[in-house]
Amino acid sequence: MTVLRFQPIRGKAEEIINAILRTEEVVSLPAQAYTIHLVVEEIVLNVIDYAYPAGEENGYLEVRTDKVGKVFSIEFRDHGIPFNPLEQAAPDTDMPLEERKIGGLGIFLCKEMMDESSYRYENGENILSFKLYGSEKE
Amino acid sequence: MEKDFSLSLEGTTLTVKLGETLGINNAPLLMEDLNAYRGKGVDKVVFDASDMTYISSSGIRTVIFAKQKLEKNPVIEFKNCCDDVRNVFNMTGLQNYISFV
Repeated sequence: MTVLRFQPIRGKAEEIINAILRTEEVVSLPAQAYTIHLVVEEIVLNVIDYAYPAGEENGYLEVRTDKVGKVFSIEFRDHGIPFNPLEQAAPDTDMPLEERKIGGLGIFLCKEMMDESSYRYENGENILSFKLYGSEKE
Repeated sequence: MEKDFSLSLEGTTLTVKLGETLGINNAPLLMEDLNAYRGKGVDKVVFDASDMTYISSSGIRTVIFAKQKLEKNPVIEFKNCCDDVRNVFNMTGLQNYISFV
């Protein structure tokens, strides 16, 4: 397992995303690179934009990547305001393009692309986890 | 952020030549550049995705922005879209409103 800890601020978004994408577990899964990249980008930005609205100096984002057998997992932890993004209403994918809201697709795509997603609030932390089954090097 | 895309207007068709990715690293810049074409009579936007291998929700927002904010409700066309990117459009239901060529 790899554990990384970051200060989630907007100016560091690309640096944080790239650091996660360079972890051993992610690098070992080139066939799932797109899915993992998308999930990492969406969740890192969510934490940066919403977890610490008061701009708390000690705010953190901890990311744990792991691979056990064929199961890849990634967990995002922060101690910002309690919020379960998985409860966000899914966008209406039948709505015409000209009527669509500009936002709201990020979490929806994460849930669609990963095999399992879960959220819990524990010891003052938001813990958002995703799993991909059958993750193999190709 | 890196500006790895370019825009060119020919008549009423705006062509956007995209780089390898369209996400947080460049989507806000593209949205700014698209905004400059409001009021210029654009009725078709061609996204040339020949080099593109990745799009996130930030990138998709720029496509929705082009459709909604360029006044003439322009036709949206994607050229040479790879399977991974096409798959993301399919998941969001936007494939029905985009011409893939």
